[in-house]
Formats: sequence, structure tokens, C-alpha cells
Amino acid sequence: MKKRILKADNLSYVYGNGKTALDGVTVEIYEGEKIAVIGANGSGKSTFFLNINGVYAPTSGEIVFRDMTVNKKTLNELRKNVGIVFQDADNQIIASTVKADVGFGPMNLKLPKEEVLERVAQALAYMNLTGFEDRPPHYLSGGEKKRVSIAGIVAMKPEVLIFDEPTASLDPINAMMLEEVLAKLGAEGKTMLISTHDVDFTYRWAERVLVFCNGKIIADGTPLEIFQNGEVLRQANLKRPAMLEVYELLVESGVLAAANAYPRQTQELKEVLRDSKVILGDPA
Amino acid sequence: MGKFIVLAALLLLPVLIFTIVRRTGRKHPAGHEHGPAHTHRHIGHKHGGMLSIDYFAYSSKIRGWNPAFKVVLSVLTIVLCIALDNVYVSAVVIVSMAYLVIAAGGLPPRDYLSVLTIPLTFILISILAIVVDFSAGPVGQWHVHIGFGYLYTTAPMLKKGVFLMLKILAAVSALQLMILTTPSSEIISVLRKARVPGILVDLMNLIYRFIFILMDVFARMKNAAESRLGYRDFKTSCYTFGSVASNLLILSLKKAGAYYDAMEARCYDGELLFLEEEKKADIKVVIPAAAFVLYLLLLWYLTRQAV
Repeated sequence: MKKRILKADNLSYVYGNGKTALDGVTVEIYEGEKIAVIGANGSGKSTFFLNINGVYAPTSGEIVFRDMTVNKKTLNELRKNVGIVFQDADNQIIASTVKADVGFGPMNLKLPKEEVLERVAQALAYMNLTGFEDRPPHYLSGGEKKRVSIAGIVAMKPEVLIFDEPTASLDPINAMMLEEVLAKLGAEGKTMLISTHDVDFTYRWAERVLVFCNGKIIADGTPLEIFQNGEVLRQANLKRPAMLEVYELLVESGVLAAANAYPRQTQELKEVLRDSKVILGDPA
Repeated sequence: MGKFIVLAALLLLPVLIFTIVRRTGRKHPAGHEHGPAHTHRHIGHKHGGMLSIDYFAYSSKIRGWNPAFKVVLSVLTIVLCIALDNVYVSAVVIVSMAYLVIAAGGLPPRDYLSVLTIPLTFILISILAIVVDFSAGPVGQWHVHIGFGYLYTTAPMLKKGVFLMLKILAAVSALQLMILTTPSSEIISVLRKARVPGILVDLMNLIYRFIFILMDVFARMKNAAESRLGYRDFKTSCYTFGSVASNLLILSLKKAGAYYDAMEARCYDGELLFLEEEKKADIKVVIPAAAFVLYLLLLWYLTRQAV
């Protein structure tokens, strides 16, 4: 049984202009989970993230981190343990050198300077940014900026990492590098939440999917459960992952036996195809 | 008549310099490859006045020197130039500062001069007001009749003007040593160590970062407007400029909010803490610098009667 790390209980958030962004969200997150948060623009994903990181104080409801109910006194404890990588790196990078920016979080944790330096060096190496220490952010490319913003969070060593639409505005190479970083973080047992519009990525990466719609969680389950639920997909304006469609078509047309293999990656599909070298018949 | 031509030439000089500045300014984008600036891989750098100064500072070979040392050397040299008021000292400072920035720092001479021409223009205009005077009668060694009176100048006045110009130029060169070899963030950290109030230092840090973000946003909005014929004639341009400016204001407010959220998410609690690493002042650099200052003093002592 995995340990619960974060719990949102009946969370509601209303913006200053009266717009309700979150409406009674209840969810429990367990250690080491890889969660994709999907839903249309303005469905409350980002607001949810800012709430469970402690930047926004919920209008009603509460957040429990491990066994600690978050209040004003324990807010910094929550921020320390839940790191959030914002969508636009340009809205996150604050310092005028890469090193200073990556060190910003650890400095705010009031760590001794040697420890900060060590963490910065580690985070930069982790994100493949060694050699960029003194580079000002305005001389970085978009992908490099993204890596700096991730390094800034990695250096704080949070237990839960949140990525707000990390693949938006990244080119395919950088997106691939990002997925490698995610795999690396996953291997270290970090709990991760990623909001995305990329259903293919969700299907391939996530263990669990939360679907937001109008400030509510309308579905919570494995990617397969979510993407086979037509009603949820229709409500949240989502489409099905190409891999799932292809597999089902292959099964439907009798190329593959209906074995419930549900491959998530191209490699897995290849294996499924190889294992059931069947029915295709003579190509002639 | 000959004097008149000299005067006209003097008046035209700033115009000429402006043209040169603008030309060199324009030449830049193509001149990316020159210089040793490209020890780093694929840096996208932007040009135009201030931004290129920022880039020069970042790519200077003596960026690694202790920033406090550079600031102190530069300020000390400025003080000496002004206090000693000696033409030899000024000349030595001009040459040695140029040498430091160009030879030690690896900045191409053309870039050094192009940065220097900006203050030079203002210096020349003000010097003109000092060396040329106005009188009712034909006085002085050289004079020009201009209808209701005479513009005149004398040898001592010219000498004073030239000496003054050299003095200002020397002070500016000393300042250039600082700004062309030290990134702003390091200068700001020196100010923090010099006990400048924290709020000012924080503001400087943020403003420095935001200048680039706003310029980026502005460039994008301008391009978007341009692609929709927003600058087709003067009237449209004025209107577009207004819209872009007001949009920029709204966007800055929004960005400020987003930034604050992002800072809070990283445990910001009212004090901007940045990691600043000590760069050790190299004794091999400090000793020559001290010798240089002593040399200036000595030069002044030996020549104080001569001037």
C-alpha cells in the first residue's frame, strides 16, 4: 500500500472577479504516482496547481500534506515540498544569471551557501546545463530556458513535482529531452503531476489521469479507463490517443487477436505485432 | 573666411559622428561572427545601443576578474582624473583603459569606439560652447563676424577646451572599463556589498531582468502590428504606437502577477536572495592595478608645473 503524500479536500477557489475556478475538488495523491492532469483551457488545472503548491489560499476546503493540514504557518513547508514548473519559463526565471536563478529556491530555503552551491551544480548537471552557469537568461534559447526553470525546481529537491504544460512551445527534440528528464525523475520515485493537452503523451507516460472540467474533476482513473470512456472524452473536449485508436483498429480488423495488450509506446506495439505474427495472410 | 570653414566643420562634426554611430550600429547584425565573443555556443544576441553593451560585458575575457576590484579601479581612476586635473594623466588613462578593454578584454576596437562615440558626441557639443565665446567687438585670436556681433576664440581657450575634453574622455574611458567588462548583475552585487539599501538593489536586479522581457514582448507586438500594416503611414503609426504602449502596460501588470506567483512558489518571502559567488581578486591583477594608480600619481607629481 502506497503512502498518501497529498490530499485536497473539497477544494474551492474563487478569483477576485467572482469567477469560480475550482469547485469542490477532492483528490488523494500517493507517493511515486505519475499523474497527468488533462482538460480544456480554463478548466481549472493551473489554479489547482497553484492551490496545492500554496501560492493561492483556497476559498474553502483544505490541503493535507502527508499528515500536516496546511495553514498559514505550515505554508512554506508545503511550498518547499511541492515544486511547480510554470508553463512560461520567462515568467519564472527571475535572476540575471542561470546560476543565480537555479539558486533562488535553495537560497529561499535558507540553506547554507555550500549546500546551495552543491545543489545548483547538481541540478545543472541533471538538466545538462553545466557550462551555462554565468549565462544571462536573455541569451538562452526557449528549450534552454525551460531546462533552467526545471533545474530551479529540481535544486529545491521537492517530493512532488508539478509541470504546467511542459511540452507547450518546445520543439520535438526538446520535448524528447523533457520526457527523458521525466523518466529520470520517475526512476527516483518522485511524485509528478503534469498538465497537458497532449493525449498521446498522457497515454504513453501517465499511470493515472485526472480530467478537469469547469473546475471539477470529472474522471480519475488509468489512461485506458479514461480514454475508453466516450462520455468523459466528450465532456472534456478530448480526443483519443492515436496509439489506442490504431490498436483497436488492428484488433477490430482482425490483424491482432483481442488480447487486451494495449501497447502504450511504439516499441510495445512492435512487440505485440511480432508476438502475434498471424492472420495477415499471404501478402501476394 | 578660412575661420568660417573651421567653425562650420566644428559644428558639423557631431552630425558626422552621429552618422558614423548609426552606420556602425547598423553594421552590427551582420557582424555577428567577429571577435572572440563566440567562445560560447549559439548565443542569440541582440544589438542596438544598450543591449550590445550588455553583450560586450557578458562576452569580455576579463569578466572573470573580481567585479568589486573592477568597480573600485574604475571609480578610483575617475576620481584621479578629476582631482589631478592633469592632461598627461588623462591621456595615459584614455590609452590604458582602451588597452585593457580591447587587448585584455578582447573587445574589437571598432565596437569599443562605437560605444565611445555616444558620449563623445555630447562632449564635443559641450566643449564647443566652452571654446567659442560671443562678443560685440572683434576680439580674440580668431573671430567670425555674424551680423550683430563676433564669435571668437583664443589659444588659451582652445587649450583649456582640449584639456577639459581629454579629462572627460578619460573619466568616460574609466567608466567604460567597468561597463564593458562587468555584467550588470555583478555590478549590482557589488553595490549590495557596498551597503546600498536592499530595496534599491532588488529593484535594480528586477528592472535589469524586466528590461529584456519587456523588450522581447514589445518586439513581438511590434512585429505583429507591422505584419498587419500597422505602420503604413504616419497617422497609423501613431495610433499603433499608442495601442502597443497601452497593451504593454496591461501586459506588464499581468506579468508582474505571474512573476509574483512563480516567486512565491519558490518560497520567496519578501527578500530577494540570489546566489552570488565570490570571484577572488587575483593578486597578479591587483598589483599592476595598484602600480597603475601610483604611476598616475607620479606622473601628476612630475608634470604638475609643466601644464
